[in-house]
Amino acid sequence: MFNFCEKAIEIADRHKVDFGDIRIIKKREQNLSVKNGEIGNFNNSTTLGFGVRILLNGAWGFASSDILSIKEIEKTTLLAINIAKASSLLKNREVRLAKEPVYKDLWQTPFIIDPFEISIENKFNLLFKIDSILRKKSEIKASVSSMNFISEHQYHMTTEGSSIEQILLTSGAGYTATAILNNEVQVRSYPSTHGGQALSMGYELIESLKLLENAEKTRDEAIALLKAPQCPQGELDLIIGGNQLALQIHESVGHATELDRVLGYEESYAGSSFATMEKLGKFHYGSDIINLVADSTVPGGLATIGYDDDGVKAQRWDIVKNGILKGYMTNREFARNIKEKRSKGANRADGYNSIPITRISNLSLMPGKYDLDDLIKEVKNGIIMENNKSWSIDQRRLNFQFGCEIGWLIKNGKIKSMIKNPVYQGITPAFWNSCDGICNEKHWKLWGVSNCGKGQPAQTAMMSHGNSPSRFRKVKIGVKH
Amino acid sequence: MNSHKAMPGAVSRRYAHQTAKAMPGAVSRTMSIKTAKKICAEIFKITKGTQTEVIITSQESALTRFSDNIISQNISNTDTDISIRLVKNGKMSKVTFNQSSSSEIKKAAQNAFYLLKNQKKSGALGLLKPSGPIAEKENLFFKKTAEISPAFKALKIKNFAKKCKTAKQVCYGTMENGCIKTTVANNLGIHLSHKESHVTYDITVKDKDGFGWAGQSANNIASVDFDKIEKIAALKARLAKKPISIKTGKYTVILEPAAVADFLIFMNIFGFGGQPYTEGQSFISGKIGKKVLSDKISIYDNALDGPSAGMPFDFEGVPRKKLVLIEKGVAKTAAHDRKTSLKAKTKNTGHSLPVPNIYGPFPLNTLVSPGKTSVDDMIKQTSKGILITRFHYINILKPLNLELTGMTRNGTYLIENGKIKKSVKNMRFTESIVNALNNVVCVGDKTISMSSWWKTSVPALKIKNFNFSSSTEF
Repeated sequence: MFNFCEKAIEIADRHKVDFGDIRIIKKREQNLSVKNGEIGNFNNSTTLGFGVRILLNGAWGFASSDILSIKEIEKTTLLAINIAKASSLLKNREVRLAKEPVYKDLWQTPFIIDPFEISIENKFNLLFKIDSILRKKSEIKASVSSMNFISEHQYHMTTEGSSIEQILLTSGAGYTATAILNNEVQVRSYPSTHGGQALSMGYELIESLKLLENAEKTRDEAIALLKAPQCPQGELDLIIGGNQLALQIHESVGHATELDRVLGYEESYAGSSFATMEKLGKFHYGSDIINLVADSTVPGGLATIGYDDDGVKAQRWDIVKNGILKGYMTNREFARNIKEKRSKGANRADGYNSIPITRISNLSLMPGKYDLDDLIKEVKNGIIMENNKSWSIDQRRLNFQFGCEIGWLIKNGKIKSMIKNPVYQGITPAFWNSCDGICNEKHWKLWGVSNCGKGQPAQTAMMSHGNSPSRFRKVKIGVKH
Repeated sequence: MNSHKAMPGAVSRRYAHQTAKAMPGAVSRTMSIKTAKKICAEIFKITKGTQTEVIITSQESALTRFSDNIISQNISNTDTDISIRLVKNGKMSKVTFNQSSSSEIKKAAQNAFYLLKNQKKSGALGLLKPSGPIAEKENLFFKKTAEISPAFKALKIKNFAKKCKTAKQVCYGTMENGCIKTTVANNLGIHLSHKESHVTYDITVKDKDGFGWAGQSANNIASVDFDKIEKIAALKARLAKKPISIKTGKYTVILEPAAVADFLIFMNIFGFGGQPYTEGQSFISGKIGKKVLSDKISIYDNALDGPSAGMPFDFEGVPRKKLVLIEKGVAKTAAHDRKTSLKAKTKNTGHSLPVPNIYGPFPLNTLVSPGKTSVDDMIKQTSKGILITRFHYINILKPLNLELTGMTRNGTYLIENGKIKKSVKNMRFTESIVNALNNVVCVGDKTISMSSWWKTSVPALKIKNFNFSSSTEF
């Protein structure tokens, strides 16, 4: 494939571009699901294509094609050059990229079992077994169980001389049971919502999830929720972990610290950020125990890579340290805006046909010192919420409201009754500053987010957020109607 | 405030004619419908004897994005997807690929056969024979729109950025154009094709601490009034400066069309979708023929003509017809495909998405019937209320009553004694859309076409007792 890449680089060099690169990507994807006792989805897809990025006269152009031939590479590279020329008609500064060493390397996601070698029959057998357990009780009116596998083989070459080959693999699985009775709809999911758990691993992930073993409990909790009392309203202590805390990190820290948003480049669509650059190194994002670390090297992370799509080697860095804002997600274009000589390597595209944009890397809340029992014991009047159901946050990432699948009331240090429709809301810095307890590393786990939308045209990225259950004091619970 | 007088929607052909002549077009790189037909024939030859469906979509999108009064991103994509679905004896397999050489087609078909062989029987429905003529009444493909050049877009945006700079404002947004060609065919005789072009101009203007938005999507660039859109966004931003905080609670609101369109998207998925309907998760489940919304509300789906026109057949090759979903507040039907219509013991309305999928059918071309009240009059008739330009980041809390939450964005204003008084800091609503559409005071006299996930055409709505649950800092 690199011989095709060389053609684009040759044309880019001939046109004396400031920078140019080409990514050829071969992607294989398998999506299987069983819905209400029937095949819900069964797709096996393979795509091949390339995207050329050109920086010329200090302005960007990008063009892609799914026809892989020397002629098409020529045509597409020239189109990207023309687009860059058009972009240069309206600029107020020259785009200059932060320096990065030249690499010639091959990087691959480590895995044990190739998911594409497991037979379709075995995969569907497992999904149908789960489905039959979920639908064993009549209150369950809808069930979905699914598995998804993605393999991406990338070839990246730059005019600076880098040639990077990467083979990335992700696997995921999960299920949801929906119980309906007398105008009440309740759902429970396992191991988490929004398609389940996904990580950069092989089929060994699916085998480790204990999917069958947890189906009965998931189903019965969905049914129990139908008759559970409603979530109370008021200021209560809140304990969250798992995929709910992962999404809290994602929405209120991850997106808020994408430097392109901070600079206003997403203003018209995804929004901007309250975490503006003058706050760097000073702003109390959270309480002293809050340490949020971005890490493109953490094993299993959905954003774990060898190199980003700027050709920057994977790194680990602080976003919030001891409660203070310490860093951003950066790319080579914007790193200089915060006076950094080198990008952190957070520029990623969702395929050959997308231009790389600043993305949340794996971003995790570092563990604290608590055991879960002790965290709960110190709560007089509170609530535990689990598994995200709905999420919404304003365009500067301040006002948020999250709904979860299930909650349990805590009274005087003990877990009491189950409640339904739990919702909490807050303002980002106040919320993270109210955190006074984080569970230790025994409870820490990485959770995948595989549906992060951003950019125009819309792109979907994947990343992971590690956390352990954490306690937040006096949070607004419930919604006033 | 006069901005609502200048809402996008009126047709201005003057500018489009000038630009089309002035700028060279980009050449479309999409696969022709003729080539798609050849590929279908090649596949059917390989799969002879087994029921085979082929769906080919070939699309091109060119998008220029701007922020801070400069072009920040400029791209052009071309993509073709080919899917082969085989069905035999209740078993089904599907493969998708994007390489159209004979060797790749053969490899994909062989893979589909392998998967079919190793598949369990799962009640897969056989493919359909042609079920009647397709009425494609309206041309939705305009070459000049599909092939707008990057230079044209750059100059257009440059001109707007210049105006913004002069007014000490900052512009952000996108101008996007392209086309999509779709072929749905099977070896039982269905062979249908559709193509349409599209253009979207979507802008946000910042004026100190005020933000304003305006935008429009169309199949034909001649329908887009760029000047009008720019003026609205600029005016909205100017009027949005120095926003004040107001108490949360229930207010009378005037939702401009973009805000109403956001609601309609959720109604389409969770309310009118055949699957939630048959599962009992929709607000119209078990309520066909009953009054579920205000009698001022009528909603229908029409892919054949009018402002939401689109592909006149579904992804199983069933002709689409105009479908009345809500008539004067009374639930008439959900949108069905074969599977959900069998479950609901009703007619297939021709709303299948590509099969198989876990979402079921949706209406993709919805319209809310206009009323008789202009937005100006809505404001004049409001003693206290809030005018909302659009929403941000809406999500669903409860499907049965469509309880949603989301933020206001880019133009929220307090109305007092029939006039816009102040700009308001953004607020979070948490409200059942079923309740809200039972509290409609009046309906706007003009509909605006919006194209986000799919096409909607909606008027403004004035609604009483709309619940705001919290607010933010800007």
